[in-house]
Amino acid sequence: MEQLVLLIPAIPIAIAVILGVVTDKALIPKVSIILSSMIALLGLYGTFYVLTNDAPIEGFGGYIIYNELSSILVPYVAILGLVVRKYATKYMWDEAGYRRFFILLNFIFASIYLLVMSNNLIVLALAWQLLSIALYLLVSFNVGSNSAVKNARWTMGIHKGADLVFIFAVVLTYNTFGSADLGVLSKTWLAMSFHPADNPMIFVIGLLFLIAAMMKSAIMPFHIWLPYTSEAPTPVSAVMHAGVVNVGGILLNKLAYLLLLSPAVLNIAFVIGLVTAILASLIMLAVPDIKRSLGYSTVGQMGYMIMEVGLGAFSLAIYHLIVHGIFKATLFLESGALIKLARHDSNLPKRLSYEIFWEENLKSSGKKAFKYLALFAVLPIVLFVGVKMVLDDAFFEFNAAIVILAFGWLTGTQLFLSFFKASKSETIKVAVGLVSSFVIILFTYEFIGMALEHYLYGKDAELFYHAATQNVALFFSLFALTLITVIGWYFMYKQHVEEVPGMAKQTNSMRWKLYRFLSNEGYLFQLLNRLRRSGS
Amino acid sequence: MIASIVLTLLAGGVPYYLLLERSGKFDSKTILLFSAFLLLCAVALTSVVPMRYEGLFATIALGSSLFSIYRAAKTTNFYKLGYHLIFINAPFFILFESFSAMYSLSLLVALLGLFIVARFYEQNYGSANYHHITGIMLATPYMGTFLTFYLITLSLYPPFPNALYFLSYMFKSTPDPLWYAVVIVVFFGNFYLAMRVMTETVFGKPNPNIHYVLMSVREKMTHAAVFALLFILGIYGVKEALL
Repeated sequence: MEQLVLLIPAIPIAIAVILGVVTDKALIPKVSIILSSMIALLGLYGTFYVLTNDAPIEGFGGYIIYNELSSILVPYVAILGLVVRKYATKYMWDEAGYRRFFILLNFIFASIYLLVMSNNLIVLALAWQLLSIALYLLVSFNVGSNSAVKNARWTMGIHKGADLVFIFAVVLTYNTFGSADLGVLSKTWLAMSFHPADNPMIFVIGLLFLIAAMMKSAIMPFHIWLPYTSEAPTPVSAVMHAGVVNVGGILLNKLAYLLLLSPAVLNIAFVIGLVTAILASLIMLAVPDIKRSLGYSTVGQMGYMIMEVGLGAFSLAIYHLIVHGIFKATLFLESGALIKLARHDSNLPKRLSYEIFWEENLKSSGKKAFKYLALFAVLPIVLFVGVKMVLDDAFFEFNAAIVILAFGWLTGTQLFLSFFKASKSETIKVAVGLVSSFVIILFTYEFIGMALEHYLYGKDAELFYHAATQNVALFFSLFALTLITVIGWYFMYKQHVEEVPGMAKQTNSMRWKLYRFLSNEGYLFQLLNRLRRSGS
Repeated sequence: MIASIVLTLLAGGVPYYLLLERSGKFDSKTILLFSAFLLLCAVALTSVVPMRYEGLFATIALGSSLFSIYRAAKTTNFYKLGYHLIFINAPFFILFESFSAMYSLSLLVALLGLFIVARFYEQNYGSANYHHITGIMLATPYMGTFLTFYLITLSLYPPFPNALYFLSYMFKSTPDPLWYAVVIVVFFGNFYLAMRVMTETVFGKPNPNIHYVLMSVREKMTHAAVFALLFILGIYGVKEALL
């Protein structure tokens, strides 16, 4: 019975074939939803089986596996798929190519399931490429639009590059370790981690896999495809931002034991993730286009996810990608309804948050907010760190704690500001709201993150933290020191400049230049377009 | 050595189509059929004559491949595109020796599909030139679907056989610098051309100055047969890649 779970990647293909012969348009979404709910049920059964038996479901000669990672991700993807299909039923009704859309949607889900459930690098390579082509056809769904087709070509170019890098990595892995079976390879890599050998080929393989993951997950500088694909239908955007971009994180989790052997790759992932998270978030704030802004928001989150991997927090990356996926899919899928409501009422979002946080109280001073925020934000952090250190010193890892705290703070703030419209004048309420969301996120993250870590990797999780910490601690110290120095210099310079007449204008011009740089997305597209024009 | 020279010529390692084009006696359709026939002979020959990989011939074929990509990027004719694709894939045939026979067969089947599309264009639109005949997917969805299948096959994407055999041979070989060069050129060359054609045919708005013709049942059946062939080759390809 449990072997049926292994058929999950084939079910969407069967649905696509059935949809090809369905003549009644109204039946297309019904068939798609009913049959794909089977996937969700099978996925949930599989998760129940893995949880209760503490053993994976393996089959098809060991090529497909339903293990701990699949048991988390497959139900997530299946439920996401159901929601997207339901949403698309009415949303896509008047679009040309209604049937084509549902067929392609099934193909992209088939490739994601295959990718998640593959236990062999060659199967993984096939799923990796299937995902590229399915994405291309979905992004260019609006075939009549020149810009959609052009952006789809950009997307496809990056993904084809990711495919080639991935294939090279697989070939080198096979030649170096003599197997493509992920189960066998993971055991080999774990055993090797206890007797580290200086083999540059392992670094090369790790780096190639990291680059492939970066390309598919829109990490800088390979991010250019994601912010420009919003012309695709909204359900496709939801799938892209909640599903497709996550495959980089899934791949790195599948290869976690390989990265154990190459801490330098983890360190590179950390640095690139950090840069992506900061730059993409800054660009997100500066770009004038709301769709591109959302795209950069996802790029920033993916940067954060890669950063977590770079710190050895692999399970945290999985948790992050699921939470982010749900959050972003909700944003995309709710956008239509919100626009419809906003056409009738300009005070949106209103509801409960409006009464609590937005009623103007002009007597309060906005500046107080920062004092309250500082007080209420510092206290829980100090408490959290203190409790962690006292209770379980050995388990406390510096890097992981930083990432949890930072993530808790960022997500809490983002969550709060996304759902509530806050007024600066309501200082205490806003501060309490922010801190509460931070504390909720922090403890949820702590609880679920640790449970997930235990479930996915058991005691091996600590090995990842140790591997990642080797060089990062020194690097992080240097980075922090440089950052503090630069910020210190900046403030000193600013203080000095303000005293000299006529220099203040220059500072503003610098700020303006920075804004222009960010709002033009680092002039990357202008450069690429110029190169393309000169090439043609 | 002689066998290698013969095979390099047969598989399209040397761009002999330049001579045929310049002679003026052969149209592009004939050149495509001739090149495909010679490639088929090469495939048959490799099963009889044991072949050894010669770096020199692979390098010559690589040069021919790069030149053919350049030429193919300038054409808007399905027949010309077809024979250029044979020459683009030649270094792969030479580098991977007799192992690549199935890859070449898959390539020929995909080109057969493209040939049928070209003939359809010739009969209904006056020539096999696809320039300005855009928006096929919207105007004639069946033709759009089949053309998409062939172009995806040619751009080396699974589950179509070309990609599967391509991967399979890569896993069975040991990389060296020439290997990397050939793989990169073939991988991106096919992709670039297929995507270019897709943008100019399948995608875009239908041209209002053109009367689009729907496919007859017989034509659909012919394409379905080619697709079935690709599907069967794909199943073998999966087996080949995994075992």
